[in-house]
Amino acid sequence: MNRFFPSSARKALLYLTLALVTFFVCFPLVWALSTSLKPKSEIFATPPILIPRTMTLENYEALLTGRQQYYQADPKAAVSGPSPAAFFTRWFMNSMIVTIGSTLISIVVSTLAAYSLTRFRYWGRSSIPYFSLLGYMVPSIIFVFPLFLMMVRLELTDSLWSLILGYVCITLPFCMWLMWAFMRSIPLEIEEAALIDGASRYQAFANVVLPTALPGIIAASIFSMIVSWNDYLFGRVFMNSLDNFTLTVGVMLFFEGTHVDWGLLMAASVLMTLPMAILFMMLQRHLVAGFGAGAVKG
Amino acid sequence: MFRRNLFSSDRVVGIVFIAPFLIMAAIFMVYPIAEATRLAFVSYNPLRPDASFYVGLANFQYVFADPLFWQSMWQAVVWTFLSTLFQTVFGVGIALLLHRTIFGIAFFRGLLLFPYIVPTVVIALIWRWIFNPEIGVVNYSLQAMGIIDAPIYWLSTPTMAMASTIMLNVWKYTPFVVICVLARLQTVPIELYDAAKVDGAGAVRRFFDVTLPQLREVLIVVIVFRTIWTFNKFEEIYLLTKGGPGTSTFNLAIYSFEQSMANLKLGAGAATGVVMMVMLLVGSIIYLRIAGFEREE
Repeated sequence: MNRFFPSSARKALLYLTLALVTFFVCFPLVWALSTSLKPKSEIFATPPILIPRTMTLENYEALLTGRQQYYQADPKAAVSGPSPAAFFTRWFMNSMIVTIGSTLISIVVSTLAAYSLTRFRYWGRSSIPYFSLLGYMVPSIIFVFPLFLMMVRLELTDSLWSLILGYVCITLPFCMWLMWAFMRSIPLEIEEAALIDGASRYQAFANVVLPTALPGIIAASIFSMIVSWNDYLFGRVFMNSLDNFTLTVGVMLFFEGTHVDWGLLMAASVLMTLPMAILFMMLQRHLVAGFGAGAVKG
Repeated sequence: MFRRNLFSSDRVVGIVFIAPFLIMAAIFMVYPIAEATRLAFVSYNPLRPDASFYVGLANFQYVFADPLFWQSMWQAVVWTFLSTLFQTVFGVGIALLLHRTIFGIAFFRGLLLFPYIVPTVVIALIWRWIFNPEIGVVNYSLQAMGIIDAPIYWLSTPTMAMASTIMLNVWKYTPFVVICVLARLQTVPIELYDAAKVDGAGAVRRFFDVTLPQLREVLIVVIVFRTIWTFNKFEEIYLLTKGGPGTSTFNLAIYSFEQSMANLKLGAGAATGVVMMVMLLVGSIIYLRIAGFEREE
């Protein structure tokens, strides 16, 4: 190629290709953002416009304050019942609770286990991580009904606990794998030094090993949070009252009824993506490190 | 060191630290898999859970005699093959693009990895909006550019529904391939390229003779992983088309879900799950054979 193109032309070509790829990746997201900021009159305008002529936050306001939908303003309208928008903040909180709860459990349990597996000798210490790896290949569709029956017996259905525990089932195996890979790479010498200086095992673990393992813990937490936050299947099967839905399950309800309020839906989509987007931007470095360790659920 | 009590003995620390994981794994991983397998051999009525009884292979016979099962299997194969193919091709292409040291590359890298973290529900909603036949921006743009004359019914004709779910899947999971390939590319010794250049190899020759053989291993791993996971995907299809129109985008996961939820045949759903697990196991064995189990220890 060098012979036919001067290097500046090649560079331009490279940027052009990059721009094209970026366009295809970003367009759906940008279009969703644009729709969410449009007033009703502009959403269906032909030709469609990318940048709204009059920007409005009315869709976000409707979600955050739980205002009634326009199609519900008429008492004789076909759609009845409470507006899904009225539950949006509630669902958001539910999603937050189950995401943080399940991640905390997964991280604590897998960090302790990884430490034990890499620092002590007993039967099965080298095969447990591989069985764990096998466990995280099993799709959620296989777990969901047995877990549901278990939750029925424990009388936990429709409770956020069922989701916290359910998500632990999906996230624990790969947190375990990632933490194990990470712990293995921490040299034994640094904690041996602490032990010789008179620290107990627990002190060595808390003050020496944990700070060193922090990047691994962050990577595992991000993956765990993404999986729990994005799940639909478990929420759909375990939950049955509007109050206890998570965001993913709740937002799909906006499709019921005859009118689909696209502006509202896109605003909900943006708000749903936001927490993970912030996390992603803050911790992108660690995410890539986690991919490197091979612990990815996708 | 002489005064240490029971709880500071190393042996006990080791056991105390691994115990929560073993208990959790037993309850939330081993038990559900065992229960899923057991359900495949019983007739289970969710409305009367105490009245379940052993039926042998009846659930499997039911499933194997169901044309929809085989249709779902075939559709899953097509879906998986095309999704994985496009993900791999685009993933390698984008990784090669990103493997440069030019201004602003970190910015592009961040943007191109972003789809991986977008919730599937959100992508499905956006897809339904931009691929809407009457008011969607995709049909409008294609018509305005003169590529098509009449609107395409993306989600309501069987072929196009399949194409739309594949697009969604490729859009979301190509970043996975990009990251894996990019990580590998960064370890390819630069000397190899220099040697090839000295020998007079052009860019295309360098890709096929230097880059591709270096990527061989990572590509095998990526393709096996993507194939296994894509084959078992549920949400990516269900949220966009619910398996429709009709049953034209059913895969085994959706078939299993519908048997359990809509038909209340948990046994048939579980039998499908067992079939999926067996296929998964075969896939994993192939993977472990290729990747090598005995990396360390």
